[in-house]
Amino acid sequence: MKVLKFAIGLCLGLLLIAMPIGQFQPSALDSLETMTVQQGGRKKPLDTVAQETVAKIYGGTTYKHDGIEESSLETFLSLWLNNRNWNEEPFVLVSYRPLKELAGLDLEQKHFSFETLMKNQPLGDIVRLAHRKQMDDEDLTRDEREALTIEDRLQLMLSMVNDNAIAIVPHPNDIKGKWVGITEAQTLYGAESVAPLLASFTIIKQTILSGTDHLPMLAPLATSLKAGLASLSPDIYPTGGVMHREVFFNHFHPFAKAWQLYAIAFVLMLIALWVQPFNLYWTAIGTFVAGVAVQGYGFWLRMQIAGRPPVTNMYESVVWVGFGIAAIALMFELSQRSKYYLLAAAPLSVVCLILADSLPAVLDPSISPLVPVLRDNFWLSIHVPTIALSYASFALALGLGHVALGSYLFTPNAQARIKLLSQLNYRVLQVGILLLTAGIILGGIWAHFSWGRFWGWDPKETWALIALLCYLVPLHGRLVGWIGNFGISVASVVAFNAVLMAWYGVNFVLGTGLHSYGFGTGGSEMMIASVVGLDLLFVLLAVMRHRGWLDRLLIAETDSSPVVSSHTSGH
Amino acid sequence: MTSAVIQFIGSIRLAVPLLIVIGSILIGATFYEAEVGSSVVQQEIYKSPWFGALMFFLAVNLSVSTLLRYPWKGARKVGFAIAHWGLVVIIAGSAAVIHLSVEGMLLARTDGGPVSTLRVEGDFLEIATSDQVIEQASLFIKDDGTVVPNQLGQLSLLGYTNHAIKTVHFTEGATVPNSAVKLSLHSDRMGQTLERWLAIAPRSYSSMDIGPAELQIQKVHSDQELQQALTIPSQEASAPWGTLNFSLANKTQVIDVKSGLNQPVVIEDIECIIKDFWPDFRLDGNGKPETVTQQLRNPALQLELSMGDVSERWFIFGNPEFEPIRTQISGDRPLDIKFSYTISANTQPDAFFRVLVDPEDNLYYVAKSSKGVKTGSLALGTAVTPGWADFSITLDEYIPQARVERDVVPLPDGAEGGEPALQVATADGEMAWVPWGEPTTIETTTGDWYIAFSPKLMQLPFALKLNDFIVERNEGSESVAMWTSLVTLMEPMTGELSERRVWMNHPTWFKGWKIAQASWNPGDLAQSTLQVKREPWWVTGLTWLGSLMVTIGVATMFYGRAVAKKLKFMGEILGPSEREENLEETVTAIPILSFFSSR
Repeated sequence: MKVLKFAIGLCLGLLLIAMPIGQFQPSALDSLETMTVQQGGRKKPLDTVAQETVAKIYGGTTYKHDGIEESSLETFLSLWLNNRNWNEEPFVLVSYRPLKELAGLDLEQKHFSFETLMKNQPLGDIVRLAHRKQMDDEDLTRDEREALTIEDRLQLMLSMVNDNAIAIVPHPNDIKGKWVGITEAQTLYGAESVAPLLASFTIIKQTILSGTDHLPMLAPLATSLKAGLASLSPDIYPTGGVMHREVFFNHFHPFAKAWQLYAIAFVLMLIALWVQPFNLYWTAIGTFVAGVAVQGYGFWLRMQIAGRPPVTNMYESVVWVGFGIAAIALMFELSQRSKYYLLAAAPLSVVCLILADSLPAVLDPSISPLVPVLRDNFWLSIHVPTIALSYASFALALGLGHVALGSYLFTPNAQARIKLLSQLNYRVLQVGILLLTAGIILGGIWAHFSWGRFWGWDPKETWALIALLCYLVPLHGRLVGWIGNFGISVASVVAFNAVLMAWYGVNFVLGTGLHSYGFGTGGSEMMIASVVGLDLLFVLLAVMRHRGWLDRLLIAETDSSPVVSSHTSGH
Repeated sequence: MTSAVIQFIGSIRLAVPLLIVIGSILIGATFYEAEVGSSVVQQEIYKSPWFGALMFFLAVNLSVSTLLRYPWKGARKVGFAIAHWGLVVIIAGSAAVIHLSVEGMLLARTDGGPVSTLRVEGDFLEIATSDQVIEQASLFIKDDGTVVPNQLGQLSLLGYTNHAIKTVHFTEGATVPNSAVKLSLHSDRMGQTLERWLAIAPRSYSSMDIGPAELQIQKVHSDQELQQALTIPSQEASAPWGTLNFSLANKTQVIDVKSGLNQPVVIEDIECIIKDFWPDFRLDGNGKPETVTQQLRNPALQLELSMGDVSERWFIFGNPEFEPIRTQISGDRPLDIKFSYTISANTQPDAFFRVLVDPEDNLYYVAKSSKGVKTGSLALGTAVTPGWADFSITLDEYIPQARVERDVVPLPDGAEGGEPALQVATADGEMAWVPWGEPTTIETTTGDWYIAFSPKLMQLPFALKLNDFIVERNEGSESVAMWTSLVTLMEPMTGELSERRVWMNHPTWFKGWKIAQASWNPGDLAQSTLQVKREPWWVTGLTWLGSLMVTIGVATMFYGRAVAKKLKFMGEILGPSEREENLEETVTAIPILSFFSSR
């Protein structure tokens, strides 16, 4: 019976992964999508170029205008070959409100036309001021940074309207040589081999310029162009499989599927917990396993495409932590069967994956080459994933801590559950401590090779240590009986702030130190600060309830008694 | 009593507050670092004695707590002991890494020779007093200019600036006559006041270019000379661009260059035109003649000569040491003609203010501007308007027997340029700025101080020659994929040579020194910056041993018992062995193993 239920859950998950079925069949635009472009230090399919370009300028991969939804490839081709008046299309994202106010733009509008922005006098002034400040090495204000982002978008848009905007003609003999645009092909090859390619390109361009809405009719032309390009330099041109893999990854959305599955598993587990007649426990587990599997597969695909170990930037670390939370929870769930691991893990993984999907400005999902210091090191490639897995354990402990504190707050009489939760929590904290210790030490070994010292009090190092101390203190305090089950729950929630600081804060809040390759402009500090603030408020409420202050306050209010006792000690 | 104290020192009741204190200090330190920079925090916190003491205290707590729990029986206690001893080892090793290692940057060039001097972070101060006491110290300079330490021997170290310049001033007390004047130039329209010293000696102070004009001082030895000096500039030279003498076989003719420019002159069938004139001749980047200034520093002219079908171009120079350059433009035989070009080497600027000192040490001035010449006697505090815009010149100070004193002074806040300098004060209150990298002597009433403020350098026991520096780029882009230095390492004693490749994350070791790729200079691909470091082998050994102990210890503490049990369980499955009674309860189980084996 268990096996059957598990199989039902798993199949449900696999079905969701497989939908829509069409994604496994080559699309009509296959040869266009998989056309190889050399850009940003690597070779990628045109499909990726289109997605990245449209996402960068427009802020999303589907361009919606006049009630039409255009795929990124359609939008990109139209922009590249300039078959309509892109000056007036409301295509450029301007999302920062204060900047819109300064520039006198419509505050409710998110996208503006190239022309509107180029002609905007205040915006131009801010950009010029920002450039002057950059020359003088001065710090930029948020307005100025945002204005520079707009300038980048406009520049990118302008540079794309050019036959040679993308390098699709392979280098004749050097695997790392510089590719060129289609009409520059003669700089690398003889006129006789280039002429037919130029001819097919011209036909494609003419077809698009004539205003066709039906891209698939370009397929045969694109196929012959691509074959021609490949035959110019067959040794250099990547094989179809490599490009197909990346296009498949682009359209498969494994991380989106994973969070949907985690969410379904969460709901099923809640039903299992509350509605006794349907024991959906194993179905929930089955769905969850499918989620972990598809996320793991997605991560593995990404590794293959990037050709390097995982977790080299903020985006990958968030996805990896989401995966770690789910995987660690699954292991514990399978050994303990307590339901709470899954219940605590699923929402956290969902949050991680949704964040990774929806904040491309902060968590940039594009795959780019690594900076030299991150390359080619065994210790580094295990140090970062280990640290990130420890963060995942602590995140899971955070989830369990919330469930426990929620229980203290709402069902303080469920002593058995509360005790169980704190025991579960303790085990997760142990895993976290072991992984974080190992991770810090691996980092030290890497630093020994890379920077010449095991330990140098770099802020990122220091904060990893602080995070470790924040967990060691309550665990040792528990040994001498200073804190009990309640204390462990509070600690697992509060101490996670140190992890947040080590993981995100050092890069974005402190912004100093040797780990600076992970730094970005940030911009979500306020959001994170308010989430942390609300969370601490929740902890405070739980503490008050646990110590009985809340009751006394309520009683005092209902009695309208003037004496409100302020106890500092509980039981 | 003693045992109670020891119990406390090794207790968790001490450990927890200690960890809280350390954690709080670290949190504060990272925020402080974001404000003041890494080097200050390293100096003030991480490398400070009190932080070291705190770490030592932690190590004591860890060691004692481990000893107190002897004998270590069972996986949990063994793990506990290994992990906590491991921490002690790591603390010792990390402290040794920070305090005992030597580290510096080595700048090598592909077109340079072998280098063996290491630039170590920080600066170095060496002082010697007149009684030959030599003292040395490493200096640490904070961003706000404070120097640590602030005292070396009898010398107080008061401050530091990145922007100091060298100036001179003159004081009385020379043994021979040497007139020096301090002039102040003031212009309302320009809103500026300049002060400048002029002196007969040293020579470089006898004239000074101040942009629109030149300031000069000159000694005259007789009244007659004085009168001449006061009148000379009024005479306008008769031929400002000089005169050109033609000499043919038996005939000569003189042309005034200025009035004869572009006027053809015919002498015995030879037509001659002065085509061009340059007061300060040179060839520009394209090989075309041009003039650098309008002053007659290197006057030159261009001539074109023609006779029948023969024509020639000549460049003739005012400086008699420069041969004329002649080019045959057409025809087959050279013209038989000679030139001599004389121009009075009047290098006087168009505008100047000249101070004249007569034999009785009285002062006079001659001021020349486009408006004419002014002369008169010069008195302290009286303003003279030389006629350059609205400038007025006042004599502020006059020292007949002046002696030059060189000074280093800091520029005002916010100024750019200049060199680093250190401000020191001797025991008897003499203050001075000592320039960086230049040994300086300070004279005081009690004796001389010799002070050297210099970069901290270190001689390596080997030399490094950069053979090649390879910058790999990501395909099709300018972003850097990797830097690689190809180096030859040389051991001078044995003559041992070794070829090495050094790239990011892949250092090389030589004679106990580690050489790693640190950075590059995007503007100069012939240059590579290498980090060179040495730490005693046992320091590396300590950190690695500690790391291993902590990881194994923690794992044993948490999961040792469970794993041991599983292993026994597996052993039973694989082959029956003698059954051992183990009643210890499993507190924790390693999840993945229990999943695979518990059903």
